[in-house]
Amino acid sequence: MRRLLFILPLLTLALMAGFFAWSLTSGRDPASIGSVVVGRPAPKLDLPALRPGEPPLTDESLRTGKPVIVNFFASWCTPCLAEHPLFTRLREREGATIVGIAWKNKRDDATAWLKKLGDPFKLAGLDLDGKTGLDWGLSGVPETYLIDGAGIVRRHYRGPITERDLNETILPFLKGAVK
Amino acid sequence: MLEFLLALLTTATVAALLWPLMRMRLPARDRLSGELAIYRDQLAELERERAAGTLPTAEAAAARTEIERRMLAAGDAAATSPKTARASDAVQKWLPPALSLFVPLLALGLYLQVGRPGLPAAPFAERGAEQPAPSRQMDIAGLLAEARARLAQDPNDADALAALGEGLTLEAGGTVTQPALEALQRALKTRPDDARILYYLGLHEAQSGESKAAIARWRDLEAKSPTDAPWLPMLRAEIARVSKAAGIEVPPTQTPQSTTPQPSREQQEAMAQLTPEQRQQAIRTMVEGLAARLADAPQDRAGWLRLANAWKVLGENANAADAYARADTLAPVDAPILADWAEAHVRQLAPGAVPSPQAVAVLERLEKAEPRNALALFYLGVAAEAAGNKPAALQRWKTLLALLPADAPIRGMLEERIKAAGG
Repeated sequence: MRRLLFILPLLTLALMAGFFAWSLTSGRDPASIGSVVVGRPAPKLDLPALRPGEPPLTDESLRTGKPVIVNFFASWCTPCLAEHPLFTRLREREGATIVGIAWKNKRDDATAWLKKLGDPFKLAGLDLDGKTGLDWGLSGVPETYLIDGAGIVRRHYRGPITERDLNETILPFLKGAVK
Repeated sequence: MLEFLLALLTTATVAALLWPLMRMRLPARDRLSGELAIYRDQLAELERERAAGTLPTAEAAAARTEIERRMLAAGDAAATSPKTARASDAVQKWLPPALSLFVPLLALGLYLQVGRPGLPAAPFAERGAEQPAPSRQMDIAGLLAEARARLAQDPNDADALAALGEGLTLEAGGTVTQPALEALQRALKTRPDDARILYYLGLHEAQSGESKAAIARWRDLEAKSPTDAPWLPMLRAEIARVSKAAGIEVPPTQTPQSTTPQPSREQQEAMAQLTPEQRQQAIRTMVEGLAARLADAPQDRAGWLRLANAWKVLGENANAADAYARADTLAPVDAPILADWAEAHVRQLAPGAVPSPQAVAVLERLEKAEPRNALALFYLGVAAEAAGNKPAALQRWKTLLALLPADAPIRGMLEERIKAAGG
C-alpha cells in the first residue's frame, strides 16, 4: 500500500504528460468552446443605429429572406482590424449583406474607425453596454454569425474570420451551398 | 557573468547535497550484530525479571529458549545471504550522490549542445535604442501630410497617391484600408510597374483572402525587380509568410540568378562617356561576349533571355528569335516573353510577306495565352489567308479591328485587307 503511494506522483505525471501529448497531436482546438445559438433562430436584436440618421437595428433586419452576416466589432480590437479587409471584400465583390454591431464601443470611436478603414456594413448597430452581446452568447470581439434567410443562425465564428473560413464556409454559405 | 553565478550556485547546491550523503554512511554494524544486540538486551531483561521474582522460573526458561532459538536463526540467515546485502549496500551508498551529480551534468551537456555560450548579451536598454519607434510615428504623420499637400495641388500625382496609400496603411497598423486601396489603384493607372504600389496591392489581396492572387502579383514583381533591388529580401519574406499562412506551395524563384555578370557601375559610367557609334560598338562587343559565354553554358535560361533582349534592341531579330527559342527549350516562356519573341519573328518580314512556320508556331502560342493580342491576330490572319483559309483570316482581322482605337494608324490598311479578302 505504501509502495503504491510512492508511485502516485509518478503516475500523475505520466497521466498529465499523456493528456498533453494527446492535446498537441490530436488536432483538438482548446479555444473552441462551441456555441449554443447555432441551429436556432437568431437572438433578439433591438439596438440603436450606429450611424446617425439610420433606423434602429431590429429582428426584422435579419429576416430579409437572404443570408446575412452579423459581425460584432470594436474600434479598440486589433483582430477586428485584421479581418476588416475580408468584410470589405465580401461587401464589394460578393455583394454580401453584412450587419455590424459595435460592442462596448463609444459611438464616435466606432464611426471614426469605420471612416478610416472603410465601412462594409449595410446596417450598423451600437451595443454600448454589451447586453445584446450577452444574448448572442458573445465571448468577446470579433465574432461573426452567419444567418440564413429564415433567420436561423448557421455558423458562429469566435475570433477573426480568416481566408480559410471565407473560402470554405462563408462563400459557399452565401451561394446557398451550406445549410 | 550570469553564467558564472549560476554555475557557482549549482556547485554550491550539489556540494550541500553531496557532503551529508558522503558522510552519513550506513552504520558499520551490519544487520546481524544489530539483531544480536537486541536479543542480548532481551536476555538481560529476562534475567532481571526472574531475579526480582515477577516472572515464574518455568516461563522464564521457556522465554529464554525462544530468544536463543531466534539468535541461532538470525545467525543462519546472515550466513546464507551476505553477498546480496553487500550489493544493495553499494547501491544505497552511491545512488543519491550519483543522482545529485547527474542532474547538473545533464543540464550542462544540454546547454553545450543547444545553447550558444558565445552569443553577446542584449540588455533591454540597448534594444530600446535600436528601434526609433517615436520617430517612425512622426514619419507616418509627415508622409501623410506631405502626400495630401501634393494631392491638393495635383489630384492625379501618382507618386503622392502611392505615398498616401502607404501612409494610410502604416497608420492602420499595416492593414490596407479602403481609402488606401482606392489611392493605390488610382496610382497604378499611371504607374503600372511601381514596386511600392504593387507591393501594397498584393498585401491587400493577402489581407482580403486572396493569397493566391497576392503571391502571383508579388512573384511577378520579384521577377521584374532588378537583382539588387533593396525591397527584394522583404518581398521574399512576405511571399514566404503569406504562402505559409495560406498553405500554398511556392515553387522556387522562376528566374534563377543568371551566372552571367551584370555590367558594373564603372562600366555603366564608362558607357555614358562614349559617342553613340562607340556605344553601339561597345554594346555589340558585350552582347557577343554574352553569346560566347552562353555557348559554353547553354543551361542558363535567364542568360538566353537577356541575350535575346539585347539582340532585339540591336535590331538583330533573327539572332533574338534564336535566343528566345533556346530559352524556351529550357523552360516554356510566359506570355510577355512570347509577345517579344513573336515580335522578333515578324520584324524580320518584308512588307506583305507571309510569316514563317516557326513564326506561326510562336504566334499561335501567343494567341492562346492572349486571345486579344494584336500582333498575333494580324499575322495569324495573314498566314491563314496565305494558306487559303479566308474565313479564319477575316475573323481574326475583324476581331482586331474591333479592338483598335478609332484613330489607330493601321485601321485603314486593315480595312482594305478585309475588303480584299471579301469581308
